[in-house]
Amino acid sequence: MPHCLFAGPPGTGKTTAALCLSHDLFGERFQDVFMELNASDERGIDVVRTTVKEFARMASLSQVPFKILVLDEADNMTNDAQAALRRTMEKYTETCRFILCCNYSGRIIEPIQSRCALFRFTPLPELKIVEHLHSIAKREGLKVTDSGLKSVVEVAEGDLRKGINTLQAAASMSKGITEEAVYQVVGRAKPTDVHEMLTHAMKGDFIKAREELRQLLVKYGLSGSEIVRQIHSEIFRLPVPEKKRISLIEAVGEIDYRLVQGGDEEIQLSALLAKLASDA
Amino acid sequence: MSVEPWTTKYRPRTSKDVAGNKPAIEKLRDWIESWSKGRPSKAAVLLYGPAGVGKTSVTEALARERGWDLVEINASDKRSGDILAKVAGLASTQSTLFSKGRLILLDEVDGINLRADQGAVATILQIIKETQYPFILTANDPWDPKTRPLREACLQIELKRLGVRDGLPLLRNILNQEAVKANDDALRLILDRDRGDIRSILNDIQLLSSRNRSLTVDDIDLLSGRDRTESIFEVLRIIFNSRTTASARRALSISDVDQEMLFQWIFENAPYQIPKPKELEEAMSALAESDLYFGRIKKTQSWHLLSYALDLMTAGVAIAKQTSLSGWVPMRFPQKISSMSRTRSIRDTRKKAAASIGVRSHVSVRRAQQLYFPLLRFIYEHNPDEYERIAVSLDAKEELDHLLSNEMRPPN
Repeated sequence: MPHCLFAGPPGTGKTTAALCLSHDLFGERFQDVFMELNASDERGIDVVRTTVKEFARMASLSQVPFKILVLDEADNMTNDAQAALRRTMEKYTETCRFILCCNYSGRIIEPIQSRCALFRFTPLPELKIVEHLHSIAKREGLKVTDSGLKSVVEVAEGDLRKGINTLQAAASMSKGITEEAVYQVVGRAKPTDVHEMLTHAMKGDFIKAREELRQLLVKYGLSGSEIVRQIHSEIFRLPVPEKKRISLIEAVGEIDYRLVQGGDEEIQLSALLAKLASDA
Repeated sequence: MSVEPWTTKYRPRTSKDVAGNKPAIEKLRDWIESWSKGRPSKAAVLLYGPAGVGKTSVTEALARERGWDLVEINASDKRSGDILAKVAGLASTQSTLFSKGRLILLDEVDGINLRADQGAVATILQIIKETQYPFILTANDPWDPKTRPLREACLQIELKRLGVRDGLPLLRNILNQEAVKANDDALRLILDRDRGDIRSILNDIQLLSSRNRSLTVDDIDLLSGRDRTESIFEVLRIIFNSRTTASARRALSISDVDQEMLFQWIFENAPYQIPKPKELEEAMSALAESDLYFGRIKKTQSWHLLSYALDLMTAGVAIAKQTSLSGWVPMRFPQKISSMSRTRSIRDTRKKAAASIGVRSHVSVRRAQQLYFPLLRFIYEHNPDEYERIAVSLDAKEELDHLLSNEMRPPN
């Protein structure tokens, strides 16, 4: 088995495939010779030099030819960490095979790509998602209407994880899954009251809007860039003239850039809210 | 949103209520009473002393307890020749049979701008010469050379800073009426910190007690560093009331409040101090620019950029504000500072929960928060039993319980 690179959008089964592959190869006790690291959480070069290296270089005690290390979200690793990883992969190929999972293979440095067999994962076709959700619904004793299922599939957008999560949340309300139930999950479970925040601002109530912003940042723990992203998509739903939409997009883009430059999310977004409030 | 400031609410009603400075107030009262026997040799008093010791308050109390009219001109008014002439007119008119007594107060004479108020000193001297009513002038700095001629024409009475002996009972009395607890150490500290400036002390403790009904030394320490030169409120007042870039920037030099701390104070209070939306938009945009410079400084260690950050946060905000507030709006404590420790613990708990979820769902901490928290919140609201089962299986029940119960808003 070569080193592998699994690339594809979220919820298409990359990590699951890696887990299943290990299970197929090593059986029930695969956990003994298997390690999963999430590169987003442990993406520093130190982790590569210590944790990864330690695991990779130790020959397995069991009767297996090699161990497997899965690096999730590998495209979030810094270039330095990737460079360090490249040497480790090379050196310990005998004892360990790597499976790197990523959304974008382009963010993985060339030398690593060339050492891996690349497998592309594509968004799941609707039919497959329907099939899978059906089998889960059956086992969980859910009653799913056609339109209910269709709306889960719509929400999922080819991301099976999202589909299953939505189904489970809807099932927590009632065993009967209807279109309304699904949209209630999607509507209510948005982490946000981004819409509410913008509405307050547009009514001219800056103080209330800033309060909402603080809720999002502190209580809900959203990052500034996440809020910016959501505002961006909200702009097209706001009841404002078209020209205004464009100037808002400019303002949001500027904030996005400022966050990269070291601006504080609360301050920068407050300025945007004040801009909205002054047009009320 | 306006609350009655304690500085107004607890203004002394009579001259006996004025805290401290008993001999000076006695002297002032004697001088006023001497008017009943005709115009005394010194027809004016220069009442001097530092800010907030009660110069204006005692004058008002003296007029009130006698039922006299108080004719008051202060530094925030333009001291044009016209106004002084009016004062002069009032001062020299003989009372008729029906009119009450009258006390004339010219506040903050050391605020006279000699260039703008040419001849002001001469006019005032003229008023002193002719006045038929007690005439009181106040000043912070009696040694200011430009007011020297006035000094010589007046009876000089000094009001000293309030010490602990007089200050402590005064504060105790007010805090009792407001049902706020405070220990003596805390009150001593604030008396010392604000150097006996009652106005600034009352502003400080009113603000502190609005968030905490029981004050300790730690609360007082929160206000600013021990060695500050001016209260943070004074600095904010200057910034929000400056009309020129120069005076807004000067606010920084009278204080050694930490600059980023001051930024938070300005950011917190801007929407309350600048109610006009257009002006607020400009002010917030200046603050955002300033913030950007702070960010760049941190990223690149380019400390020469600091002056731009400071200019924007002081002058930028001051110039944005064009319209004055109609009432007194109390300053608010920056949320960022007061909730720092609380939010830190929430942040930590959230991270812990997300880490647990991440391991079990094979996603990163960040994505665990993004993907799973909203759904868990939904299930928590709709099916507590199901939520409990899931939270246990994710090995994050304790953390999730804590987070979600904190997040839940009171029903509308």
